[in-house]
Amino acid sequence: MAEQAQRRAPMALAQEKSTDNNHAYEELRHLIVAPETEGLAAVEERLDNLEKRTCDVSEVVAEAIEMRRATGDQALSDALAPTIQETLRESVRRDPHVLADALFPVMGPAIRKSITETLRGMLESFNEALDNSFSARGLKWRVEAMRTGKPFAEIVMMHSLLYRVEQVFLIHRETGLVLNHLVAPTVAAQAQDPDLVAGMLSAIQQFVRDSFKSKDSESLASLNIGDLQVWVEESPNAILAAVVRGHAPADFRQAMNEVLEDIQRYFSSALANFKGDAGPFRAADERLSKLLEIRYKEAPEEKKKPRALLIAAGIAAALLLGWVLYVSYASWQWSRFLADLHKQPGIVVVSTATHGRSLHVEGFRDPLAADPKALVSQAGLDPEKADLQLAPYYSLDDAMVTKRAEKILHPPSTVRLSTKGGELVAEGSAPQQWITNLEERTPLIAGVTGLDESHLVNSNLQQLFTLKSSLESVILLFPLGRAELEPDQDQKIAEIETRLRELQSQADTFHQSVNVALVGHSDTTGIEGTNLVLSQQRAEQIRRLLLRNGIRRETLRPTGVGTTQPLRNEDSEEGRQLNRSVTFKVSFAPAGSAAANAAAAAASTSTNAPPATPPGN
Amino acid sequence: MIQKKICMLGSFSVGKTSLVRRFVATIFDEHYHTTIGVKIDKKIVKTDGGEVTLVLWDIHGEDVYQKMRMTYLRGMSGYLLVADGTRRQTLDDALALNERVVQEFGKLPSLLLLNKFDLTDQWEIDSSQMSKLAAAGWNAINTSAKTGDGVEGAYLRLAQAAQGK
Repeated sequence: MAEQAQRRAPMALAQEKSTDNNHAYEELRHLIVAPETEGLAAVEERLDNLEKRTCDVSEVVAEAIEMRRATGDQALSDALAPTIQETLRESVRRDPHVLADALFPVMGPAIRKSITETLRGMLESFNEALDNSFSARGLKWRVEAMRTGKPFAEIVMMHSLLYRVEQVFLIHRETGLVLNHLVAPTVAAQAQDPDLVAGMLSAIQQFVRDSFKSKDSESLASLNIGDLQVWVEESPNAILAAVVRGHAPADFRQAMNEVLEDIQRYFSSALANFKGDAGPFRAADERLSKLLEIRYKEAPEEKKKPRALLIAAGIAAALLLGWVLYVSYASWQWSRFLADLHKQPGIVVVSTATHGRSLHVEGFRDPLAADPKALVSQAGLDPEKADLQLAPYYSLDDAMVTKRAEKILHPPSTVRLSTKGGELVAEGSAPQQWITNLEERTPLIAGVTGLDESHLVNSNLQQLFTLKSSLESVILLFPLGRAELEPDQDQKIAEIETRLRELQSQADTFHQSVNVALVGHSDTTGIEGTNLVLSQQRAEQIRRLLLRNGIRRETLRPTGVGTTQPLRNEDSEEGRQLNRSVTFKVSFAPAGSAAANAAAAAASTSTNAPPATPPGN
Repeated sequence: MIQKKICMLGSFSVGKTSLVRRFVATIFDEHYHTTIGVKIDKKIVKTDGGEVTLVLWDIHGEDVYQKMRMTYLRGMSGYLLVADGTRRQTLDDALALNERVVQEFGKLPSLLLLNKFDLTDQWEIDSSQMSKLAAAGWNAINTSAKTGDGVEGAYLRLAQAAQGK
């Protein structure tokens, strides 16, 4: 409006006023509209000039791409991808080294990462298998593996799998032909011919649609066969089917949808003009492989915990049990030791206390009682752990009294000492001197109230009687009618003399004097009176022989009994020979006593008696 | 590799399934036929234009109990129309069926197979009938699923026709 007004005004003025004015208006107009006109011209030039336009776009292209990318739209990547791929391909074709050099720093880590991932996967499944191998569940699965003939790993997988997408089919919707098919490596061997499966799947889709008169846009979304499911998504030209073992989450369908939409958009013309050549759809590999997922069941934490707890509790219980057993065993050992200690003569236990593994004992101990530390060792216990506070005392226990008596009396090996109710009993044989010592010292021994020596034999006395009987068993033989010894009897005199001396010395120990009656015998041949004399002569003869060897005169008392005390009956010559003899009769009397003197006197009288009898036999 | 969807059409018991069973790779049991009315098999054929995978939709023959599902024919590149040469009626039925197919899907590469050619003594298709068929534009082939006569050739010809050669 303003422009029109501006144009109309100078025209009216031109009619009414001079050309001067015209010029003035022109000037005015120029002044008013010139800036706009110039601006318009500049814009026009800019639009027409390719170089300038390129320059303008170059200023904003980076920001534009950035802005589009920020919206999260996939379209930009899809649009750029073919160009970039083509560029890369061209670059490699021209000079492979350029790209190789550029990728070199990336390749190494990528390969390493890939290898690490693969190993980790293997390790996980190995651990899983190992974990399951040693449980009741694992055993059950082993049986199942044997029964079904499937590998154990497969059975483990089937049970511990949350879900696994085993196959993905991209199917041309109209023909039911396979455009692309991916199969997880682990099930590759079991996968059926994809062409047939895809065809059947689309046939089933159509069957369901026809049978239930559903709309063309509606279709079978999933098929369930045991723990196997086939999830199906459809786009205008394609069917995407995923074979899933286990239970996939709902968002997996979302992922399928996104992939299918992407494929439908990217391959829209290839899908619409499909004539049986699946080649172009190889390019969908990457998109489809995203769907080949595998998810394992999370190791059930709450199940593991109780097991760990159970094991820990088991260990704790075992330790506790072990400790209790150890403590009770130690305490049983101590109590057994204490029982032994109580029985020990000469030890009195007043109080005991156990502190953990150590023992404290208070009481009394006779110095002659067993060493308590040695008893601890014998019981298999550590002497270091036993604190024994035993004060010394004299025990009146018979065993201890006996020990004490033994220590004081030093009995010879032939004597056995014991104590009964305080009375010391000595048994066996001992020399006179020790017996004297015993009698003197026994009353001084602590705990001894009396002495019983009824079973104690005086060994000196015993010897004395042995000598006596040995002497009394000697028979000195004489020839018929004669008072001289048979020639072979001389040796006997020497023996008799030795025994007599010994007897005398033994008797001295007891303060006894020895009297030896020399008894002369004769046989019955000849006259009785003669025989008596002969027997006296025989006794005298022996005394003479013994006196000659220095035997004391008062010791010997010769008598003749004639035939009155025959040693044998005289039925034989041997009997008669034995009766022609002298025998010995030994008696003792306290030295210096009347009996001794009398004996001595009698001996001297008989000696003095004359051999008045006539010779007999 | 090029794939083609090929349908096998024809009345009940004309030997469609036998034409498939001996000559193609199959994984499905025949009872699919009676349940969902179709059984899918596959046949790889070497043509001048390279190997072609024929995905064969062996469609259950029509009878009084079951109508053929035309939707199964969608997207096919050609079809084999099968009749039993020993039963004249099956040929008429096949031709009638063909009309329905052409009506719905337009003209597609196809072959007419007169099967059970091994049973010549019972053959009901005479030469006049054959020339009538030829006049109607039919390329009729005598086949025998039993002896294999004509079968491989039929698959090859259809594969080539479907490739537009």
